Amino acid sequence: MIWLTWRQLRTQSVLAAALLAAFAAYLLITGTQLRHSYTSDLASCQAQNSCFGLLNQLQDDYNGPQYLAEFLVLAAPALIGIFWGAPLIAAELEHGTHFMAWNQSVTRTRWLAARLGAAALASVLVAGVLSLLITWWAGPLDAIYGNRWGTRAFNARDITPLGYAAFAFALGVALGLLIRRTLPAMAATLAVFVVVQVLVTAGLRAHLMPASTSTTAINQATMSQGIRFDRSEAVTGPVRIDLPGPAGAWILSESPVLNRAGAVVPTSQVLTCWSQMLNQGASAGKGASPGFGSLGACLAPQDLHVDINYQAAARYWPMQWVETGVYTALAALLTGACFWRIRRLRG
Amino acid sequence: MTAILEAHALGMQYGRRRALTDCTLNIPPGHVVGLVGPNGAGKSTLLKLACGVLSPTSGSISVLGNTPGSGPAQLARVGFLAQDAPVYAHLSVADHLRLGAHLNRRWDQDFAERRIAHLELDPAQKAGKLSGGQRAQLALTVAAGKKPELLLLDEPVASLDPLARREFLKQLMESVVEHGTSVILSSHLISDLERVCDYLIVLVASRVRLADEVDRIIAAHHRIVCTRRGPGELPAGIEVIAAEHTDRQSTFVVRSDTPLPMGDWAAEPLSMEDLVLTYMENADPGPRPVAEHSEASR
Repeated sequence: MIWLTWRQLRTQSVLAAALLAAFAAYLLITGTQLRHSYTSDLASCQAQNSCFGLLNQLQDDYNGPQYLAEFLVLAAPALIGIFWGAPLIAAELEHGTHFMAWNQSVTRTRWLAARLGAAALASVLVAGVLSLLITWWAGPLDAIYGNRWGTRAFNARDITPLGYAAFAFALGVALGLLIRRTLPAMAATLAVFVVVQVLVTAGLRAHLMPASTSTTAINQATMSQGIRFDRSEAVTGPVRIDLPGPAGAWILSESPVLNRAGAVVPTSQVLTCWSQMLNQGASAGKGASPGFGSLGACLAPQDLHVDINYQAAARYWPMQWVETGVYTALAALLTGACFWRIRRLRG
Repeated sequence: MTAILEAHALGMQYGRRRALTDCTLNIPPGHVVGLVGPNGAGKSTLLKLACGVLSPTSGSISVLGNTPGSGPAQLARVGFLAQDAPVYAHLSVADHLRLGAHLNRRWDQDFAERRIAHLELDPAQKAGKLSGGQRAQLALTVAAGKKPELLLLDEPVASLDPLARREFLKQLMESVVEHGTSVILSSHLISDLERVCDYLIVLVASRVRLADEVDRIIAAHHRIVCTRRGPGELPAGIEVIAAEHTDRQSTFVVRSDTPLPMGDWAAEPLSMEDLVLTYMENADPGPRPVAEHSEASR
């Protein structure tokens, strides 16, 4: 059975290995250059204490390759599901070759186990190598950015790609077994996989672990870190201030400005301070950026605050494990369904 | 010895469509069995049930004394060649033999290689590039190479030209004799099977109409030509399969398991082809209620 499995996977494996090797060579070369620039940039800018611009420039320089590499890592599980998973059994059923396979002296269950096991292993291995490469490659850029919660970062680093690949592969096999035709099975695999990825990334992920809440008081120190200030047109509307959360955290939501009792503060209550800041800005001249510091100082006596709902930076690894676990469990469930189905399948 | 195939009230239903109805068979060992019937009569279904690719929805079937497809041992004893002889298009001829060698403990590589050489197939050729006849031969080689006790062949010659049909059946008979294998092969044409079969099953509209040794079938069936009369006027013990009347004459095809009594008629034996065609044309088994039959044939 091992021979047949290998023989049927041979062409695809060689192709995948060649693509992987080319990609690896590209990443190893550019990655080494990137690391070299990063170390030398860091050394020179730390001496001058002006790292922000220089490192930003480095990020910009590698933006293109980073997009490409992350796209490949994100696309790999889908491709694995479509080209390895879906045709694995569907092609046999479509061409009737399962009649030949199932009438050798090997039970269907063993046949499925061999075919599924080897290809699943290959799928996870490919995803693992890709993820390892990109995680190493993007290390300096991730360090500059200081936040690993972005979709491109979280979905294309460390162990999540392995879970995605296992799930996509099992999904492809199961749909192939259900639909029994290669092309529709491939299309269905892509559709379902994309839907699941979007639902998990945009919806489920935030709730995989209970979020934390922090309260940030509004004063000169916190407001000087403020990114944006939004007052409502109507004087009764809420006031929104984007304040940076804890370092490296994934900000899920920020409340509007609240007073001591936790009630939403209307725009009318901050208007005096707001116009005061605008006047200061006008008198300081066009070139000077006043920042929100003075606004914070003016508002401080009112004892206002903003509630920030977030996942802490330290949650990164637990969340990686939980999400990978969720996908792996789904893959296991689908695999179980395949074994259940193959015994009852009418040839 | 155990029967090749034993079935009791075997039935197979796909949704509401009945592919096989109330099929009871007991085929003694050592036969080359022909399974004849029009397209859609249930031939493929019966063969798939026998190799275990399908499980019956009612009744029971045992092949060589065991449940079909019940484990590696049973799978090793039964070879199956599916309709249209599916092969792995991207694998070479030699790869197919390797497949057989890896997946069957009793594989006879020597036999398989001899056969491929005799057929003048190029071992390096991809199976997808073979002609229909060569593909059928390759698939038969894989099915026979595992040295099964029973070979099930579903329309093995359907895609072959007349010359290739004769060659295929000759080859088949040679390997059957060499290994002492029992065979069940299906076709919608009796002329394909006549030369090789010594046991015949006629399936019409999902039901078994006839199942017996060829010699006994021939001996029991007669065509009677006599003055016009109804079937009831024939002596008891004679089953009328078909009747045809002109103004003055009646022609009956009858079955009589005892020697036909003398009467005021002319009796002649029927050719296998005429006989099978008669059964196919007269699909309605007389005594059965009409309603049940129309259900079965839908």
